Amino acid sequence: MKLIFLFFLLIFKNLEAFEYQNLKTKSGIEFWFVEDKSIPIVSVSFSFKGGSSIDTSDKNGISNLMTSLLDEGTRNLTSDQFKNEMKMKGMKLSFSTQKDKIDGVFQIISSQAKEGFELFYEAVNHPSFNEVDIERVKRQLISSIKIDESDLSTLASNKFNYHFFKDHVFSKNIKGSIDSIKNITKFDLVDFHKRSIARNNLIIGVAGNVNVSQIKKYIELVFGELKNNKEIHSIQKFKSLSIGEKIFEMKTPQTSVLFGHPGLERKNENFFALRIANYILGGGGFQSRLYKNIREKKGLVYSIYSYLLSYENDGVIVGGFQTRNMSVFETIQNVKKEWKKIYSRGITKQELDNAKAYFNGSFTRNFTSTLSIARLLQVVQYYDLGANYFSKREKIINSLDLEKVNNVIAKYFSNEKLFFMIVGQPES
Amino acid sequence: MKIVGILLILLFCFESKSNINFNAKSTTLENGLKLIVVENSRAPVVAQMMWYNFGSNIEQRGKSGLAHFMEHLMFKGTKKYPKSYFSDYISKIGGSENAFTSYDYTAYYQIFPKQHVEKIIELEADRMKNLTLTQKNVEIEKKVILEERFQRIESDPSAQLDESMRTVLFPNDYYGRPIIGWKHEIENLSFDNVMEFYKENYNPSNAILVLSGDIKFKNAKKLVNKYYKFIKPGKKLNLKKLNNPDLKTSTNVELRNENVKQQIWKRIYRTKSYNESITKAIALDLGMKILAGGTSSLLYEEFVNKKKLFSMVGGFFQGLTKGNGYIYFYAIPNKKIEQNEISELLDKFIAQAIEKGVTEEKLILEKKKYYYDSIYGMDGILKPAEIIGEALTIGLTINDIENWNYKLDEINLEMVKKELKEFSKNYNFVTGNLRN
Repeated sequence: MKLIFLFFLLIFKNLEAFEYQNLKTKSGIEFWFVEDKSIPIVSVSFSFKGGSSIDTSDKNGISNLMTSLLDEGTRNLTSDQFKNEMKMKGMKLSFSTQKDKIDGVFQIISSQAKEGFELFYEAVNHPSFNEVDIERVKRQLISSIKIDESDLSTLASNKFNYHFFKDHVFSKNIKGSIDSIKNITKFDLVDFHKRSIARNNLIIGVAGNVNVSQIKKYIELVFGELKNNKEIHSIQKFKSLSIGEKIFEMKTPQTSVLFGHPGLERKNENFFALRIANYILGGGGFQSRLYKNIREKKGLVYSIYSYLLSYENDGVIVGGFQTRNMSVFETIQNVKKEWKKIYSRGITKQELDNAKAYFNGSFTRNFTSTLSIARLLQVVQYYDLGANYFSKREKIINSLDLEKVNNVIAKYFSNEKLFFMIVGQPES
Repeated sequence: MKIVGILLILLFCFESKSNINFNAKSTTLENGLKLIVVENSRAPVVAQMMWYNFGSNIEQRGKSGLAHFMEHLMFKGTKKYPKSYFSDYISKIGGSENAFTSYDYTAYYQIFPKQHVEKIIELEADRMKNLTLTQKNVEIEKKVILEERFQRIESDPSAQLDESMRTVLFPNDYYGRPIIGWKHEIENLSFDNVMEFYKENYNPSNAILVLSGDIKFKNAKKLVNKYYKFIKPGKKLNLKKLNNPDLKTSTNVELRNENVKQQIWKRIYRTKSYNESITKAIALDLGMKILAGGTSSLLYEEFVNKKKLFSMVGGFFQGLTKGNGYIYFYAIPNKKIEQNEISELLDKFIAQAIEKGVTEEKLILEKKKYYYDSIYGMDGILKPAEIIGEALTIGLTINDIENWNYKLDEINLEMVKKELKEFSKNYNFVTGNLRN
């Protein structure tokens, strides 16, 4: 009987000791890597810039359809054979289209790494795009669009994007529409695959039980044949975000409200100050002002939140809640009140100290699995936060004093710029 | 603060002749509190999960939603650490937390940097007995829970259909009652109901504490002992098992709602559980994976690939339950099809597929996947705590979990087929249809 014992060794004692390697493959593909022998798994997190923002104009949803087909067979394997091979090797592979990028995750059991990376290579470079698979996945996406249209919160989110981002490319539904999907041909998909799965759009983070020379070979195998694409996938700034309110009537006992406000691009020097402000206003956990004042004190909602969506060139603050039809406008008034309070009076020293402590303490949670480490390595590169980000981060946070943060709040927050998308049957 | 139907559909499982285990260490305090520790020092982080071995199953008739209500109120503060002290503390140290209520258990968890472990252990121990609730807490939280019910159920036709199907399938026990409670019963829950429920059930003898991450067993034992040893054991739950009568009628439940743009067909069966027999339940689980799991199942191959009738079809077995387990099927048709027609198509195919489609080859593949998934389940610190906590609260033992592989080894094709046949002849099911 073979016994495998997992010994979890102390790898990341503290942040200063967190070391990754910046590696380059034979043909010059760069990636960040952490060797982690505590568990027999290799995790790769990767992304390609572009996503649904580069969908061909009359073929909305093409990026999403293309990525949905990347695990549906290769030049040598049918969809069914490919899925069975994945099971046999203990391999996980998924792709998802976002507004600004395609995200991917690959995981393999170390003992099967070689065969796993070979399958991964086939999926990325030689997807089959068989007509029969295209038609099947199209039918699945059409069902899923119909289900989204029946679901209050997803419907509200799509309506929000459409109205808030207006003429910006982000107003489009990532999945496209039933008509636009039907319009996409095999030829379009092959062409779009070349455009989007390109070498110069690629960012990779890896963590797990594999050594440096092996992983360099594997990454070269999977991505080494990709060509550069001359198109530059740069997302336009949000020139005219909507303000005010928009109502979409739908017969339902509860109304879903999403709200939006301008934010900042990830690399902006004031980004962390804004992140702290948002944490205090509507961020995670049970500590935010929106949570305490609207849920805990008034019982108006089950969930209420706001978060920053920050991209390469611009960003927004987005929030939301659901409440019964009779209390929609009362809750909106309360959100506006909190918004006004934060930019007219700022935050307190105590709130700032707590928020800084949160951001300093929460970072280690990224190191608890190979996948979360790989993701972190990928994201830091995606936003170009710098090779020294891991040692710099704490300094950035600690350098923020009350005056700085309150100045940033006063500069960026305004009730005049808020937009509310209301989906349901609000009663005034 | 949420509700779970299924926490872990997949427990974890092993390949022949190899064993992976958590190496979990455990002890029981004199007052009955069980402590389980899974040491894992790869990152300086600890996950604490407190599992109470009751959920909506112990609510009296007429008081549905009480266990979940209580879970919300556990965040309202104690005499020593009033109001939101606990949650504020978690935030301040960069931790995360939540809680969930199911039919058979209620759990609270935090993930946080390890240097705070003593304080977090103290805070969880403190709220087991020392909550200081006010009438006002209860009244406001009731509003929040009603909003939660409206968000999860009343504004979601698919969830309403599920709720209704369960009431038909489990007419005589708590699996037929929604965990969150019926609206009219939530409205009538009182401060006294809550206090009584709390005092009676929140006891060390009904609790299992799991610590996973960068903490040594010896240290965990010392700290847990320090903060729990003065708490009296309290009354240990003695649950009487209720059975449901065999259903003598076929029941079709339909929900029509103008907002529904896509028809969905569903069916739920009452089945056995891991509590009855781990081996049989694993066999059933493997069989269900071959028949209906994911996008390479027999059902998918037949109805999505070949016949092109559905855009999706699938199902799963959930047997980590104190009482009956259940099997859930769904189908999403490409064009509108009558409910009975879908039922007939599936019934006919499943009977055939069990005979001809469930092969040795497919079984080997699913066993491999089970084994690999068990390794993935160890990549992290919360997952092991979830697996162990859930298994123990429904009545399995640490040994059952650590030796799962020996049970898997015993399973052959014949056993899988036997379990599938038994379920396919089972008339305790209800069929649902969602449409506009």
